[in-house]
Amino acid sequence: MSRDEAKNILLLHRPGTAEADDPQIAEALALAKHDPELAVWLEAHCALQVAVGEKFHQIAVPAGLKEQIISEQAASEKRIFQRQAIRFALAAIILLFGALAIFWLPQRAQDDTLSIYQNQMVGIALRGYGMDLVTNDPSQIRTYLAQKQSPSDYVLPAALQKAGIVGCAIEGWQNAKVSMICFRTGKTLAQGEQSDLWLFVVDRALVSGSFDGNSPQFSKVNRLITATWTQGDKLYLLGTTGDEQTIRKFL
Amino acid sequence: MADSVNFETLVAGYYGPLYQFAFSLTRDEADSCDLVQETFCIWAGKGHQLRDITKVKTWLFTTLHREFLSARRKETRFPHIDLDYATAELPVVSPATVNQLDAAEVLAALAQLDGVFQAPVALFYLQDCSYNEIADILDVPLGTVKSRLTRGIARLHQLLTGEKNKMPKPKNL
Repeated sequence: MSRDEAKNILLLHRPGTAEADDPQIAEALALAKHDPELAVWLEAHCALQVAVGEKFHQIAVPAGLKEQIISEQAASEKRIFQRQAIRFALAAIILLFGALAIFWLPQRAQDDTLSIYQNQMVGIALRGYGMDLVTNDPSQIRTYLAQKQSPSDYVLPAALQKAGIVGCAIEGWQNAKVSMICFRTGKTLAQGEQSDLWLFVVDRALVSGSFDGNSPQFSKVNRLITATWTQGDKLYLLGTTGDEQTIRKFL
Repeated sequence: MADSVNFETLVAGYYGPLYQFAFSLTRDEADSCDLVQETFCIWAGKGHQLRDITKVKTWLFTTLHREFLSARRKETRFPHIDLDYATAELPVVSPATVNQLDAAEVLAALAQLDGVFQAPVALFYLQDCSYNEIADILDVPLGTVKSRLTRGIARLHQLLTGEKNKMPKPKNL
């Protein structure tokens, strides 16, 4: 190893480190012990290394940096926790809505079933209603309903045609119109009543579970006996107080 | 696992050397603080992935160096020139002995080195890192580290003292 080669190797030598154990550095150091010129160079070099190293270590670390890092991290963790809490809350809300949708949508889907329709219409008849048109002229009623885009091309059973018609109203079902035609059975009406026999006509497509065929189905809905049948594209619901025999007289 | 490393203990143990390394590279207090802060922030997020607890120091210095390089790339893409700072950057290299220099002048000399020499030389003089650790931190082979150190140190001494240290031929940069 020449002196210049030793200098090159010793350029990386940091006094006081384990690197003196490196075979190349150890060889160069050994050479310096026998080479006075190299020894002088090495001494100066080591002094320089120490001095330069000291300069690097003199770089003053700003006061409060450690505290700043720790507090910033604490704040960051707090933000992360809050963000996670918000995400958790959002997820919980979404799950809640999802659960509600699962339970609610089937209910909604069943809102248009025949039994619900029957209950709702019978409820209208029993709870009181206001007739939009009071007349005993069937043609006026049809005209009025047609003008209001409510079902007007209904077909009345022969017996019902003979019942006394007193007027009509327009009710709602699934955002569509239901024609309510009011009749009198001939019995004495209670005070304040104008009608005791009601026919509801709606587009049959709007009532799921409605049946095919013209034969009426009888069922007791609330306090009324009802007959339900379809004809053409319409679903008919006739209701009155009494029993099946009573209502059969009008079919 | 690195989970077992207490964050405050870790900060207390390494924020100083990390800051000195960052300052050696940037010579800007705010930038250096940001780099150290960002390094610990990354540790808080990803440190748990480190399996070998003995590599914490290397991991921290590596992360800081990467963040520095990343920031420098951004600055290169979107250069920001501060005129006051640029004036301060004009070479002020004292020909007197190193003992007469202050840290700022040494760092100014360091800044005159090519970018590839600055980080290894700073790590070398901070003396907290072995050659192997420097190689790990900079993600370069050990031979390359030694080569860069040899050239970087020689050039630094030359700048500080005016001496013409023999410059080895470049290899493996």
